[in-house]
Amino acid sequence: MSELNSEDLAAGLNDLPSLPAVVMELLGSIDQQDIDVSVLAKKLSHDQALTAKTLRLANSSLYGLQVKVTTIQQAITFLGFQTTRNLIIAVAVTGCFPSGRCPAFDDKAFWRHSIATAACARVLARRMRFNQDYAFTAGLLHDIGRLVLVSTQPERYQEALALRAERDCELLDAERAVLGVDHVETGVALAEHWNFSDTMRQAIACHHAPETQGAGFLAGIVHAANAIAHALDLACDEDELVPAVSAAVWTALGLSEESYLHAFHETELQFEEMSAILMA
Amino acid sequence: MSHGNKLTPLAAAQPGMVLSDALLDGQGQVLLAQGTVLTEGVLASLGRHGVEMLPIGAASAAPADPEQIQKRLDHLFRHNERDDDEDWATGILRRYIEDYRLGRGATP
Repeated sequence: MSELNSEDLAAGLNDLPSLPAVVMELLGSIDQQDIDVSVLAKKLSHDQALTAKTLRLANSSLYGLQVKVTTIQQAITFLGFQTTRNLIIAVAVTGCFPSGRCPAFDDKAFWRHSIATAACARVLARRMRFNQDYAFTAGLLHDIGRLVLVSTQPERYQEALALRAERDCELLDAERAVLGVDHVETGVALAEHWNFSDTMRQAIACHHAPETQGAGFLAGIVHAANAIAHALDLACDEDELVPAVSAAVWTALGLSEESYLHAFHETELQFEEMSAILMA
Repeated sequence: MSHGNKLTPLAAAQPGMVLSDALLDGQGQVLLAQGTVLTEGVLASLGRHGVEMLPIGAASAAPADPEQIQKRLDHLFRHNERDDDEDWATGILRRYIEDYRLGRGATP
């Protein structure tokens, strides 16, 4: 069976639906602070669906605003630019991939897992005094390579999923066996194609191997959040499997059992609220 | 959303069930908050107020069976051996999740 090479991968990326230009701009600028907010708010106001969902998220209890924001400009004023930007990215990305091309791939379960990981990463980041917005977005996008594979190679991805079920192995191994690439490599390729920041790219690249030299703390947070999201069983996937947790990451987080139990509870609450909005 | 906020007839509601959504009156005022645990007294009072349907999620409608929960958790953690020292971090996560799901240890 022929394996995918980097050219196939690049061709596949070009066939993907594109994000609104303003969202691409936001993705590329995730590390920058000096952005003209009013220009951005104006550009976004043309996209009503995107604006409406972003405002629903901003007004959800996750952010505890005392006032109801009705424009992107107001959201930026009350939540700050970084948080608003991450909400916009979340809304845009969750709505951008077509579904139903590969019967064995449950895209609802995929997004439930991604949203659960994002919620958990945000909860863990707060406890670790790490940037919660980065953690949220990295958690949401950590498996985005799976969507690329399933959108560009639906039949082959079907085979990979069948092999995973048959061997009950890690998904990464099944993907490599059938396609010659896995969702981590593909996710990194997409991150480059979409101009994600280095921090975000690194977190996607290393979430299964957080002990890699230079992986960064964010990769560790996403690694733990991914395992917890699987363990909390929020994706409603019959075949759900908790991957091995890195001892190094667990030690670095250094949280008590009580902290974890609270984090589980918070994750579940945030998950319910976020998924109700993002998957509407 | 995954549990669905389906409505349950008052007659079928049992003490101990939890409201998956706020219960509103005809004017949109909150009668009972989301998360309220129903008691016999509350149910009787709702009957007197003419409430016919309650928002009770599918998840809370059936009391959880600890054996079923344990079975599901064992399935989720099927790649983890409990006495594998190499995989201790997964083992600890497993124990915490069990404590969380089975209501042991510190309840948040």
